[in-house]
Amino acid sequence: MEPGRLHFSWISSAEATKFAETARAVVKMVKAVGPSQHFLKKQAEVV
Amino acid sequence: MQGYTERIQEAARRLLVDKQVDVVIGFRKGTVPLMNEPFLAKNVDQVRQLYWDGNCGMNLANYLPKRTDRIGIVAKGCDSRNIVIHLLEYQIKREQLYILGAPCRGMIDRRRILASLEGKDPSSAEEKDGVIKVVGSDFEVTLDRQEYLQENCSICIHRNPVIFDELLGEPVPEQQNVDRYPDVNQVEAMSPEQRWVYFENLTKTCIRCYACRNACPLCFCPTCFVDESRPQWIGKSIDPTDTRTFHFLRAYHVAGRCTDCGSCERSCPVGIKMRQFTKKMEKDIKELYGYEAGVIADQRPPLDTYRPDDPQQFIK
Amino acid sequence: MTEIYIAKDKLPATIGKLMSEHRVYGPVFEGQYHEFVELKAGDEIDLAYQNTRLSPKGLFHPHSEKMCQFSLAKDDPEAGIMKEAPKDYSPRIILGIRPCDAKAFRLDDANFDTPTIKDPWWTQRRATTTLVGLGCNQPCRTCFCTSVGTGPFDPSGLDALLTDVGDGFMLQAVTDKGKRLLSSMSDGEPVPPAVGEEAAALKQSAEAQLGTQFEPKAIAEKDMLELFNASFWDEVQFSCINCGTCTFLCPTCWCFDIQDEVYEAQGDRIRIWDSCMFPLFTLHGSGHNPRNLKLQRVRQRFMHKLKYYQDKYQDGVACVGCGRCVKFCPVNIDIREVARLMSATCVCPA
Repeated sequence: MEPGRLHFSWISSAEATKFAETARAVVKMVKAVGPSQHFLKKQAEVV
Repeated sequence: MQGYTERIQEAARRLLVDKQVDVVIGFRKGTVPLMNEPFLAKNVDQVRQLYWDGNCGMNLANYLPKRTDRIGIVAKGCDSRNIVIHLLEYQIKREQLYILGAPCRGMIDRRRILASLEGKDPSSAEEKDGVIKVVGSDFEVTLDRQEYLQENCSICIHRNPVIFDELLGEPVPEQQNVDRYPDVNQVEAMSPEQRWVYFENLTKTCIRCYACRNACPLCFCPTCFVDESRPQWIGKSIDPTDTRTFHFLRAYHVAGRCTDCGSCERSCPVGIKMRQFTKKMEKDIKELYGYEAGVIADQRPPLDTYRPDDPQQFIK
Repeated sequence: MTEIYIAKDKLPATIGKLMSEHRVYGPVFEGQYHEFVELKAGDEIDLAYQNTRLSPKGLFHPHSEKMCQFSLAKDDPEAGIMKEAPKDYSPRIILGIRPCDAKAFRLDDANFDTPTIKDPWWTQRRATTTLVGLGCNQPCRTCFCTSVGTGPFDPSGLDALLTDVGDGFMLQAVTDKGKRLLSSMSDGEPVPPAVGEEAAALKQSAEAQLGTQFEPKAIAEKDMLELFNASFWDEVQFSCINCGTCTFLCPTCWCFDIQDEVYEAQGDRIRIWDSCMFPLFTLHGSGHNPRNLKLQRVRQRFMHKLKYYQDKYQDGVACVGCGRCVKFCPVNIDIREVARLMSATCVCPA
């Protein structure tokens, strides 16, 4: 997996502002990495 | 190591006669060159089948979970560390065990020896004085034992058992200044795309036989995640994504518990270098938590305890 | 034409010509072992190989195969209808298969090709495949084909048989399919008499080398319940780790599971290899598992191969002595040893 796709944060339910900011930031960072090309399975690749 | 056979038989006889144990788990000589079979001696008559040499690579701790009897067990350094993990994870009780510790100079790598013969079929392989003599109907080769150690044994830094009731021989000197992670470093230096290709190739021959999982002493879940059906987490076919998921997830499940005994790699019928997944876990746990699985008998594994100073720079 | 001789230096051209008219599969060394692959231009076939790691049963019964597919799209008039997945059944030649593996297909036919049930994928592949076998001049130490009713030059599962006589190959037709193949090959020479003699000598020496390692008939004559309740199973089963290695590498193991995999508006019904060694193999929907103990599963495998199959079909054991399970069992459980235990004169509990 490319760096920038997985993010961790610890946010309490009382930290609404932090939640909103983190969510926006993560969405922006992941969009910058682009659609995932790996670990995708739509149909089993079998004979 | 050759002397161990007699010591094991003597100890097993004594333990069974004195009724200190109900059974003794060791190995008996295999029916094909370079293989031995894990063996359960239940009475004194069976003790004479117990045997030891450089082909005792499978981890006998695999046979402990769910047993309720009193067991004498032969344990190399790695096996003994797995016994510690079993004790920490409540899979067996210490009072059930009489551990015959076997300081180990490394097990030999059957796969590499057979590959070096390039298709020639051996009839026997004997080890003596640091040399392995492999004989067939029309050939004889002598191999240097040190060159043909199992890969995990060649970088082993815990050759002496960490827990035992009796030692079968004098402790052996531990290897010093061993770099355990050259292959992990190599993969870490790759770009994500290169890494992807590397792991793709590593798992492409997998036939989902689960020999790796079943040979591993740490894999004792009543229902493995691959066998769950409600919900089903991963498909059971050899679809590459499902296969990769199995291998990566299993590596994560043994993270912080794996002792690098090499049984997974040894048992794979298609020769996948299974340890490439688990060694990265081992390195990370060592660097992040300063922990090595099963070395200290009462130290809880880092992934099952919370400490306020646990590294958390990845949490923003 | 029933037999021809092909010099080794002419073999690549002969194979090339076959490739222009059929799909040709041959043993190629890839990675750590040999595998039967569909040959493309430039592929190097290795007829000096011992045997493939995985048995060639995968050419007829692949590990994972789409049987059917269906659509679940709302606007699709054919939604919800299971359709057979398209396959390629164009004619194939499997070149260089070992006689034991080919005989195994005949044993597998007992399961896939019966008077009442015919597996369409198996039977169609069998019908359009010509098996050209390669006799074993130098059997492995783990082989025991002669003890289980076949042999290093056994033609019974083959359409044609190759014998390596040093400078070239003698190719003999066995079935009509084989005869048709030989007739289509214009570059074969007549077989010199010395070659015929050499081939016979090779067969004799290979069979002598293998000898008889145990007697399946002795197992057939035993009482089934006596074998089932024998005390030696406890010793045999201890080391088993219940992986699928023996069953997956075995050319006569045919068990499979069927899985439906659905994603959004489309689904596949997939057949995958299953193993009686897996604990879930006999798990019932009720939750009951008649073989939830390892001993029961280990016993089942050997009883099936060496006893039940003999009793049911009177066609020998469901084993061709290829030796793959012996070589690759991670804990060295040896079917020859188990067979010896089963055929010993007294199996009464100790």
